[in-house]
Amino acid sequence: MNIRSYVLLRFKELEWSTLILVILLSASGLLAIYSIEVQHESGAEYFFRQSIWTVVGIGLFLTAFFLPRKLIHNLTYPAYGVGIVLLLIPIMTKSGNEVSRWITLGNIGFQPSEFMKILLLLALAKYFADHKRRLSTVKELMTPVAMALGPTILVLVQPDLGTALVYFGILIVIIFWAGIKPLHFFLLLAPILSMLAAFQTLTFFHWMGIIIVVLYFNHLPFWTKILNFFINVGLGGITNLLWALLKPYQQQRILSMIDSDSDPLGAGYQVSQSLTAFGSGGPFGKGLGEGTQTHLKFLPEQHTDFIMTVIGEEFGFVGVLVVITLFYLLIAKLITQAYNSKFRFDSVILIGIASIYTFHVFVNLGMIVGIMPVTGIPLPFISYGGSFMVTSMILAGLSVNMSSVRRAVG
Amino acid sequence: MLQGRNIVEGWRSLLVHGLLALLFIILIGRYYYLMIVFHEKYAEKATANHIRAVPVLASRGVIYDREGNLIVDNAPSYTISVIPIEVKDKPESLERLSSVMGVSVEEINRRIVKNRRGSFAPAKVFSRVPFEKISHLQEHRLELIGVTYSIEPIRNYVSDLDLSHALGYTREINRDDLNRFKKDSDYQPGDQVGWKGMEKFYESELHGRRGFRYIEVNALGQEIGEVPDRAPINPIPGHDLILSIDSYIHAAVEKALADSSGSVVILNHKTGEILAYASRPGYDLEMLSGRISSKDWDALMQDPRKPLYDRGIQGLYPAGSTLKPLAALYSLENHSNAKERTYVCHGSYRLGNRSFGCWKKGGHGKMNLHDAIQQSCNVYFYNLIQDIGIEDWALIAREFGFGQRAKIDIPGENKGLVPDTKYMNRKYGVNNWTRGNLLNIVVGQGDVLVTPLQLAQFAGMLAQRGTQFQPHFVNKIVSKNGTVIKEINSPSKNRVSASKDSWDFVQQAMWDVVNGKKGTAKAARQKDWDIYGKTGTAQNPHGEDHAWFIGFSLDERYPYSWAVLLENGGGGGGKAAPLIGKVLRTIAKRPS
Repeated sequence: MNIRSYVLLRFKELEWSTLILVILLSASGLLAIYSIEVQHESGAEYFFRQSIWTVVGIGLFLTAFFLPRKLIHNLTYPAYGVGIVLLLIPIMTKSGNEVSRWITLGNIGFQPSEFMKILLLLALAKYFADHKRRLSTVKELMTPVAMALGPTILVLVQPDLGTALVYFGILIVIIFWAGIKPLHFFLLLAPILSMLAAFQTLTFFHWMGIIIVVLYFNHLPFWTKILNFFINVGLGGITNLLWALLKPYQQQRILSMIDSDSDPLGAGYQVSQSLTAFGSGGPFGKGLGEGTQTHLKFLPEQHTDFIMTVIGEEFGFVGVLVVITLFYLLIAKLITQAYNSKFRFDSVILIGIASIYTFHVFVNLGMIVGIMPVTGIPLPFISYGGSFMVTSMILAGLSVNMSSVRRAVG
Repeated sequence: MLQGRNIVEGWRSLLVHGLLALLFIILIGRYYYLMIVFHEKYAEKATANHIRAVPVLASRGVIYDREGNLIVDNAPSYTISVIPIEVKDKPESLERLSSVMGVSVEEINRRIVKNRRGSFAPAKVFSRVPFEKISHLQEHRLELIGVTYSIEPIRNYVSDLDLSHALGYTREINRDDLNRFKKDSDYQPGDQVGWKGMEKFYESELHGRRGFRYIEVNALGQEIGEVPDRAPINPIPGHDLILSIDSYIHAAVEKALADSSGSVVILNHKTGEILAYASRPGYDLEMLSGRISSKDWDALMQDPRKPLYDRGIQGLYPAGSTLKPLAALYSLENHSNAKERTYVCHGSYRLGNRSFGCWKKGGHGKMNLHDAIQQSCNVYFYNLIQDIGIEDWALIAREFGFGQRAKIDIPGENKGLVPDTKYMNRKYGVNNWTRGNLLNIVVGQGDVLVTPLQLAQFAGMLAQRGTQFQPHFVNKIVSKNGTVIKEINSPSKNRVSASKDSWDFVQQAMWDVVNGKKGTAKAARQKDWDIYGKTGTAQNPHGEDHAWFIGFSLDERYPYSWAVLLENGGGGGGKAAPLIGKVLRTIAKRPS
C-alpha cells in the first residue's frame, strides 16, 4: 500500500462531524479575539497569531489522524520519557521564584506541560492495552498511578496547580474506565475527599463515618481496613499543614471561589468583573464589538482564560448556550465512541481525551462564573494560546484516528 | 498489545455520560441564573463600572475693589497625587517621592489615607509644588509608578494691599467641613474651602460648582479616553466679589499706619461700605493658603504681636473717652439744663475714699458740657454719670450698636461688652459694685469693651444723627458673565432718636475737638474740609495706653466715618489723630 492510497483510504474514514465541531469552536474563539481587538488601536495581532495557530492546529489534527495507530503505540513510552525530560528543563533552568512553564526555542515558546497531557494519556492507554489489566487488585494500580504521579509532581513544582489537577483527572477517569473495582475506586479517592473535608470539622466527622461504614461492610483484611482508616484520618489532620505549603496566590484562588469579593484585585476581582460581563450580556448580548466590560480591559486575562466573557457579554446567553452545546456534542460523542471501541487502546485514549476536554471546559466555564477556583485552565479551541490550541487539536485528531478503527476493522 | 479488546462495562459508560450531563446542566443553570435572572442587576453594575466621572474644578470667584481693580484672582498650581492601588506594593515609589520632596514616607502615607477616595482615584499629597520639583519628577517618572501630578487653580494675591484679615484665605477642607457640607456633594477631600474672612463668609458664592468629564477607565483605573456619547458637564465658575474697599484710601491708611500695631476702619456712613480696613500686623496670605508648614504656623501662633488676630472685629479694647458723646447725648435729651450745667475739675474726683483722676493732672477748672467733650474732661463726666445711672447708659450704648455684633460680612466678630446692672451683679455680686465702677464706664474704661468696627459704626451714627447702616465689605456679587447676582444695599435704620438740637450740640463739640483752640485732635484738622472727632485713651494694664481717635466728615464728597486704634499708642490726640489727618490729606489729594 503506497502512501497515496493510504491517505485516500484514511480520508474516507475521516469523521467530518468532529472536525466541523472543532472548527466551529475555533471560529468562536477567533470571533471573540477579533471582537476584543476590533476597537483597540493595537491592531489584530492576537487575532492574526491565533488564526495561524488554528491553521497549524488543523494541520496537526490531520497529522494525528493520519498517523498509523501502530506507530503511535510504539512511540508512546519513548515520547512519555521525552515529555518528562522537557518538564524537567524549565525546573532546572528556572531562576528565582518565578513561574516557569515555558521552554523557548528561538522566538516560539511552548509549554511542555500541555503536551504532557497527550503523552500521559497515551502511556496509560498503552499500559492498559498491553497488560490486559482488569484492575482487580490494588497492586495493578501501582504502575498507572506512578505514571501520572511523576508529571503531576513536576508541574506542581513549577508551580502549576491547574495542570497537575488535569493529570490527576486523566488518571482517575482512565482507571475508572479500565475497570477498577468500585471499592478500590472509593478507597483511592477517599484520601482526597478526606483532605477537602478537613476544612470543616463537622463535614470531616460525617465523612469519617461514611468511610467506617464502607470499610465495615466490605471484605477486606482487617489490617487493611485499619490502615485505610488511619490514612484518611491522618491526611485530614495534616491538611492544614499542606495548606500552608501552598503558595499564597494558590490559597487565595481557592478562597476567592468561596467569596469573590474578598480580594477585589486578585482572583476574586477577576471573577466579580467576569460576573458583571456575563450578567450584563443578558439573553442576547450587546453585539459584536460592543462589550464594554471586556473592551475596557477590566479583565486582565480576557483573551486567554476569560475569553468566554467576551462571548457572554456580546452574544448573551444564546451565545454561551451554543458554545456549551458544541462542547457537549464533542465530548458526549467521544464517550460513546470510547464505549463502542473494539480495542482497549482506542477506548482508553478516547475516554482520556473526553476527560481532558471535560475537565478544561467545566473548570474554565465554572471559574469564570465563580463556581470553580481560578486555576488558569484555558478553554479548548477558544482561549488564545498556541500550546493549548495545538494540544486540543492533536487530541481531536487522535480521537478521530482512534474512533475510525472500529469501522475500518469491523 | 495493540489488539487488546475493549472490555468496558455498560454501566461505567452510563455513569460517565450521566456525570457529563450533570456537569453541563450545572454550567447551563449557572449561566442562566447569571445572564437571565440577574441580568438587570449586572447591567447596572456594568454601566457604572467603566465610566468614571473626573471632576473638573470650578475656578473660584475673583475679588475686585470698588473700582474694579483686581485684588485676588487664581493662578495655576501643581499638585502631586498618589494612586493608592499602584503604590501598594511599591515602597520604592514613595521613598523616591519622599526624597524628592523632603517629606517622610510616613507623612506621605498619612496624607494618602487622609485624602483617599478609593484605591484607583489619585489622593492628593502635595499642593503648590514648585515647577522644578515637577520637572524633577518628570525625569524620574519610571521610578515613580503611581505618582501623578495635575494643575489646579490656587489663589493669587494680585494687589499689594494688606487686606489679609478681611479677605481671609482658603485651605484644604477638613473632615468637619466635609460633614457640614454633606448635603452639598460638590465638596471632596482635598478641595480648597474658604477658611477665614470673606473667603469663608462668601464661600458658597465664590466656590462655583465643579464639572465632570466622563472617561472610560480600565481595570487598573487607567484612563482610556473620553466617553464619546456622554457630554461633559462644564464647571460653573464661582461668582466674583466687588468690594466696597477703596484701594486708594486703604493704601493711604496702610502707609500712615506704617509698622504700628492697631486697626483702622474707615466706612461710608451713608451706605455702610467699608472703604479701608486695616488690622496690623497682618500676615502673608500666600503662606497661609493651601498647606502651611508647621514651623511657619508655630511662628505665626507664637508671634507676640499676634498677626492672626483680626483687631478690627475681634480686638476688644476699653473705648476710652471716645464714648463720652454717649453720655453727653443722654444728658442733652434728659436733663433740661444739660448745656448750662457746670462742674469744676481739680484733676481728680473723690468717691468715698477712692480718687478718680482726670487725664489733665492740674485740672480743667470750671467745665460745661461742650468744653468737657472738646477737652475730654473726665471729672465732668464723673459728675454727669451720677445723674444718669448704669441702666440708661447701657440702653443708649446698645442703641449705638455696642455689645452686639455689627453682622459684618466676615466671620469671627466679637460682641464687645456693655455692662448693665444684671452684668455687674453677676460679675461682682449684688451690692458688691459701687458707683466707682460706673465712673469708669462713662469714660469708657473698666468693664466696657468695644471693637474698632463698633467705634467706627458709632462715629457713623453720630454723623448720621442716629441712623445706622449695616457695615459691609462686599458691594456686589457678579457672575462670570457680568450679571449682578446680588447687590448689597444695607438697610438704614434710625436707632437713636434725639432732637436736632442735641445732635447739633454734640456734633459741634466734636468739630471743636478737631478745630477748636483747645481741642485734643487738632492734628486731624483739614484745610477746606470740616472734620469732627473724639480722641480716647484706653488704659492698658499690660503696657502703654492704647490710643483712639474716632470721627467723621459731613462733607458731601466724603461721607466718611472712622475709628483708629493704635496699640500702645499713648494718648489719642498724640498719634491716632495725626494718623487720620495724614490719611484725610491723601484723600483730598486724590487724583480724579
